Amino acid sequence: MKILIVDDFSTMRRIIKNLLRDLGFNNTAEADDGNTALPMLKSGDFQFLITDWNMPGMQGIDLLKAVRADDKLKTLPVMLVTAEQKREQIVAAAEAGVNGYIVKPFTAATLKEKIDKIFARIEAAA
Amino acid sequence: MAVQTVISDQVLAAAERLIVEMRSGNEHQAAQALDELVRAREVSLFQELGKLTREFHDALAGFRVDSRVSDMAEKDIPDARERLNHVITMTQNAADRTMSAVEHSFPLVEDIANVAVNLRAQWQRFQKREMNAQEFRELAKSIDVFLGTTETKSADLKSKLNDVLMAQDFQDLTGQIIKRVITLVEDVEANLVNLIKLSSNKAVPVNTHPEYHESIKAEGPVVPGVVTHGAVAGQDAVDDLLSSLGF
Repeated sequence: MKILIVDDFSTMRRIIKNLLRDLGFNNTAEADDGNTALPMLKSGDFQFLITDWNMPGMQGIDLLKAVRADDKLKTLPVMLVTAEQKREQIVAAAEAGVNGYIVKPFTAATLKEKIDKIFARIEAAA
Repeated sequence: MAVQTVISDQVLAAAERLIVEMRSGNEHQAAQALDELVRAREVSLFQELGKLTREFHDALAGFRVDSRVSDMAEKDIPDARERLNHVITMTQNAADRTMSAVEHSFPLVEDIANVAVNLRAQWQRFQKREMNAQEFRELAKSIDVFLGTTETKSADLKSKLNDVLMAQDFQDLTGQIIKRVITLVEDVEANLVNLIKLSSNKAVPVNTHPEYHESIKAEGPVVPGVVTHGAVAGQDAVDDLLSSLGF
């Protein structure tokens, strides 16, 4: 499975990349904000998007909305991994069609649990 | 200015009359003209003073309305202090976590290396056929134990490396907090510049970062001691909220 990791901090991208590798996902690419990520998503064959919320340029929530508004990308599973944890932000993300929401700082176990849950639900729906 | 020109005309007329009356030797009329001159001057002075006072008052009132200076002093600066203290705590915790993992890992690697050196020496004796059957049985047993402990210790080591990896998340979280403090410093700077301009009567409304108060925009990490309205408490609360929304 090809996964795109979007975060403006390279340290966080590397952490997620290493955790994913440990979970057996070796095919990852990185972008530092929504503006960079969106063309990559449109031209690449990504099957999963993990994105931060708070980024310069295009924020994660706007990237999520752009993905849902794109005919080719609208069914792409999207998980937010973010320090944002206000109630209305989580509600806004849910309304925009997020598949998973992880609050930073998180653990390797949380990442695995949420990814498993997202794909279990997708499989059940298929 | 118009007011000043009118007064200047009056003053000029009084001065001309003063000279005419003095030349004509009319002492009384000359004294009157002089009085008029002094009065005109006083009126002009009071009017100017009044105008200045009014401008100063308006400028101060405008400054209070336009700027966030008092907000900053009362709320944002103490918030920034809490945020920066939290950054110190987070970097301290990350360093401690990393050091602990490293200190835990050193003996694991040393143990594996020491036993490997010892086994290698015995293995070489075996290859040179310098080992009897009893010694070989002991070597085989040692190798078996070594493989077992290596497996256990490798797993332990991997978990410690994972700790080191996860400890680095402080860079993202503290980075977000510091960026917010930088935004505040820029706002303070803009307001101070405005205060300086005010003293030369050139105050302009300060364009502080409007996103600072918008609720759905990114807020950065929750900081202990800094009130974040509407923040939920951690991953479990997020999960509960999402499941209440049908997730």
